[in-house]
Amino acid sequence: MNLQLELALSSNLDEGFDLNDRNEERQEENSRLMKRKRSFDETFEEIKSVQVPQTLSLLDHIDLCDEEDRVVGWPPINSWRKKICHHHQNRRGRNTIMNYVTVENGGRDGGERSGGRSNFTYVKVKMEGVGIARKVDLSRHHSYQTLIETLMAMFDNEKVQGYKLTYQDKEGDWLLAGDMPWETFINSVQRLKLLRNGH
Amino acid sequence: MAYSFPEEVLEYVFAFLSSDKDRNAVSLVCKSWYEIERWCRRRVFIGNCYAVSPQIVIRRFPEVRAVKIKGKPHFADFNLVPERWGAYVYPWISAMARSYPWLEEIKLKRMVVTDESLELISKSFKNFKVLMLSSCEGFTTDGLSSIAANCRNLRELDLRESDVEDLSGHWLSHFPDNFTSLVSLNMSCLGSEVSFSALERLVSRCPNLKTLRLNRAVPVEKLASLLRRAPQLVEFGTGAYSTEIRTDIFSNLVGAFSGCKHLKSLSGFWDVVPAYLPAMYCVCSRITSLNLSYATVQSPDLVELISQCPNLKCLWVLDYIEDAGLKALSSYCKDLQELRVFPSDPYSAEPNVSLTEQGLVTVSAGCPKLQSVLYFCRQMSNAALVAIARNRPNLIRFRLCIIEPQAPDYLTLEPLDTGFGAIVEHCKELRRLSLSGLLTDRVFEYIGTHAKKLEMLSIAFAGDSDLGLHYVLSGCESLRKLEIRDCPFGDKALLANAAKLETMRSLWMSSCSVSYGACKLLGQKMPNLNVEVIDERGPPDSRPKTCPVEKLYVYRTVAGPRADKPDFVWTMDEDGALRLS
Repeated sequence: MNLQLELALSSNLDEGFDLNDRNEERQEENSRLMKRKRSFDETFEEIKSVQVPQTLSLLDHIDLCDEEDRVVGWPPINSWRKKICHHHQNRRGRNTIMNYVTVENGGRDGGERSGGRSNFTYVKVKMEGVGIARKVDLSRHHSYQTLIETLMAMFDNEKVQGYKLTYQDKEGDWLLAGDMPWETFINSVQRLKLLRNGH
Repeated sequence: MAYSFPEEVLEYVFAFLSSDKDRNAVSLVCKSWYEIERWCRRRVFIGNCYAVSPQIVIRRFPEVRAVKIKGKPHFADFNLVPERWGAYVYPWISAMARSYPWLEEIKLKRMVVTDESLELISKSFKNFKVLMLSSCEGFTTDGLSSIAANCRNLRELDLRESDVEDLSGHWLSHFPDNFTSLVSLNMSCLGSEVSFSALERLVSRCPNLKTLRLNRAVPVEKLASLLRRAPQLVEFGTGAYSTEIRTDIFSNLVGAFSGCKHLKSLSGFWDVVPAYLPAMYCVCSRITSLNLSYATVQSPDLVELISQCPNLKCLWVLDYIEDAGLKALSSYCKDLQELRVFPSDPYSAEPNVSLTEQGLVTVSAGCPKLQSVLYFCRQMSNAALVAIARNRPNLIRFRLCIIEPQAPDYLTLEPLDTGFGAIVEHCKELRRLSLSGLLTDRVFEYIGTHAKKLEMLSIAFAGDSDLGLHYVLSGCESLRKLEIRDCPFGDKALLANAAKLETMRSLWMSSCSVSYGACKLLGQKMPNLNVEVIDERGPPDSRPKTCPVEKLYVYRTVAGPRADKPDFVWTMDEDGALRLS
């Protein structure tokens, strides 16, 4: 194993993310950043062939929030700061996806927004074995049934049936979805993951 | 005998020596000075718990009253050191319990501390006064109960940034009713609510309380009551500073703060509601230290606060302060010595705030006493770094983290070698440096040439070849700690500079290109070093010798290979054979 460090020089530091490299099962997370960044057009070419439902856009709010996508230990902030950051992420992620550049005062004042459901409640959905994550707007669903139906439309219809739906709650724990009432679920869910049955 | 001072006189003179360096120098003069000194050394600092054994320390210094011990390597803060790596304090406590009955102070950093250790501390040292656990882990609030209940003369309990298993807030109630000696309490890292009435009573009956750092669970409306009971406080950390605005709470808080004529340091401010910040304005003129790094407050509110603190020496803040806020800082706070700007959104590819290199340049120009910098940002240029270096040749610590690894100068797209080169060239007293951005071997040539006082260097995603590492190891005369991750440094530089490693405290290299074969060779050649390979893929000799190791930790030691290694750590032994514990 030889680390090939190629200089990732690019004229546009905002090129963002190499979407096809988000395969959870890859072993060398760290060397991902070492690969030459692809241009926006190259990236877009590859994913044009994927069927994308109307309800969501893959290209918004691409970030390294998801822990599996990060380089370990970078940026160098300790676990105390990470907790605060995670806390901020959750509060922000639930409120808006389009305009995250400026931090709005409304989102910060008043402390916790307990129970208040905002209009935009997109959460990330990952399917085990599938490289690209999606996002689903929870506010458009009122029950687990409709959520599952949307997920089946998003991913491979049949495949979803061989999977179980899990979610990450506010404390960062991963739980099996369906045990608690829908209202409780959507107030605490941060992201979703479809895991193969038998895991 | 060259002189006839009685021992007592020498001992009296030595008592004025507080620095370890001076005491070590004194010990080398002659045998009798060595003997006299060792009996009167009261404070011991052990920078690496595996560099020496408790038995060796106790044998040499039999009358120690205060110990400070550090455990895991610094990169453990960023999850680069696997769990169960080590740094257990229990063997130290157990040995000291037998040999230092009069021990008063224990300060630990990055060590694993169990409830058992805490209980042993609380029962073994009758005059125990100071317990500081910085970034430690492994204990629960039950351990704290033992300390509270048994340490009758406790003055300081400081748990800064430790990872405590918080079973309940009940531990605080274990301080006896006749316990009045508390001077400093830092419980900011705890989650659970403590009994507020117990806290109030504790604060009321400890007239010497100078430092009180609360945890997040203490709400704003309770602060006034505590402040009124401790108007002598010098350092105060709030809990969550958020609640709906109520004029009675606000005016109560104003009244309480105005009674605190000695407050110099403020911290806490989780979940801040900006409307409550003005409650503190009456103390701002005396404030020298402000930690707002958990406060999600926007720049205008920050500026409002900072503009009232002309005596500010130390500011920790989130990047919400933005360039505009830093400009205000540079004009209001001319006494500023230390600035730390942390990222509010470190994992986003896009900037969420308007904080750039310009903010730091402005502060470097406007604050003549600035000596210590930690700065997270998303863009940097050589021009900015050169300006900072020219503005502030008195910098002692410079830690820059450009969030995107290997980010070049955003104006010229060149590496940032010249910029960092200027830093080390102009800042001749620089002791600590953290690099980031796109860097070639050239920056290391500059560092090796100029950074003669540099003691600690952190490198990530930098360099082209072994030459880079060679420049640093051969040029930096004062280097004590070197930590490297994800750099193309390999065997040659390491082996060529093996002797240098004995003059340093430690070297950390992870995700580099050091082969297992080279590690074995280093371990063989250098008996005074522990060359530890950390590899979670299994035994290194199940792979070819040329295969790079995952992580390498090399440190000098007089204690031999450590006996408490986990199954993913191997010591490269002098006889060439692998030794598992």
